Amino acid sequence: MIRRILDFVFILLFVWACMILGLWVIDRMIVPMQLPGITDMFLTGILKVGVSAGLVLFWLWLWREIVKKMFWRAMKKQ
Amino acid sequence: MFNELVIFALGLAASFATMPLVIKKMKEKQIGGPDIHKKNRPFVPEMGGLAVLAGTTVSVVAVVMLLPEMFGVAASFLGSTLIAGLIGAIDDFKSLNAKVKPLLTLFAGLPILALHTYNPMGLVFPIIGQTRMTMVYPFLIPIAIAVTSNAVNMMDPFNGTMSGPCALITVFMLLSALLLGRSEALVLCLCLLGPLLVLFYFNKYPSRVFSGDVGSLSIGAALGAIAVIGRLEVVAVVAFAPQIMNAFYGLSSMGRLYERREVSRPVAILEDGRLTATKDPKAPITLARVILARGPLFENEAAKIFFVLAAISGILALATAYLIMVTP
Repeated sequence: MIRRILDFVFILLFVWACMILGLWVIDRMIVPMQLPGITDMFLTGILKVGVSAGLVLFWLWLWREIVKKMFWRAMKKQ
Repeated sequence: MFNELVIFALGLAASFATMPLVIKKMKEKQIGGPDIHKKNRPFVPEMGGLAVLAGTTVSVVAVVMLLPEMFGVAASFLGSTLIAGLIGAIDDFKSLNAKVKPLLTLFAGLPILALHTYNPMGLVFPIIGQTRMTMVYPFLIPIAIAVTSNAVNMMDPFNGTMSGPCALITVFMLLSALLLGRSEALVLCLCLLGPLLVLFYFNKYPSRVFSGDVGSLSIGAALGAIAVIGRLEVVAVVAFAPQIMNAFYGLSSMGRLYERREVSRPVAILEDGRLTATKDPKAPITLARVILARGPLFENEAAKIFFVLAAISGILALATAYLIMVTP
């Protein structure tokens, strides 16, 4: 019982910490980013949103893969 | 403080008075179904969510009478909850298609847009602070309400696993509202908490009533409305982690929207009454199936894990609220 709960505690903490870290990366790195050779503010804004959206999708993918691996490994053991 | 206590007590009392009547009526009309995770599959009446709607309505009327300055907030909250409840009631009588139901729940966001009871600037994130999303944010509101209502609707596998975790989410959102000084969110949480506690009392293992889609969709929409109106969106996302996990795993493993009755069952019952995860690769990977992957459990044991997960997510939601508070 405890082991099952710990599995999920690990996932929840990992996902939450990744979310906070991702917000920090967006705030400190992506938002102030200056792209060499691109002066158009609108284009820069779109690129920044694109990079941030990519980060969110990577976060979701990572979350799904961890759970999928955990699930099938547990099923095999069973 | 006295007003808030009255609002909470009236919702609780109205729900507690209505629930036995709903159970009696549903039994008489044979509206319900078998409790499939028990060996003898007892008949359990459905649509206990009607008592939640009754209690919430009474609480909201009390808000309007005691705190008239909150009329707009209370009306948009009740409007969203009742629209989602109506869609749920239609689904309980005449099963809606897996694609139609999420689309219809988008309408539950309309009262908030119509009464303009949202933060016009947009989302407030921890670390980042207030963002400027004046153009995009209104379009996100119906989506947010549809996501919360359907995510709650999808996570009702065992007795009490919808009502219990939702009551915990409400408690942690209430604490977050206190921490951040969001009075609207605080009052709306109190409107929902009483009826939810009553539903949990009747719905916990062994269930005397199921909430039905009328309950799960309206409770999800109510929580979404609290998040939007009370500016607790990011806190709610964290508090909703188990529901989001369940919906996300299920949808990503199936690759499409699905109804429970359309797909292979993710959980099976053993001879001794314990529940086990099925090995069928076509069954969705739901949270219940992941919990049972390590080995069979009795229904009440599996339900306890859902409560622990909701409590941990709630603590993380509170930590998120703290980070929002200290963000300049």
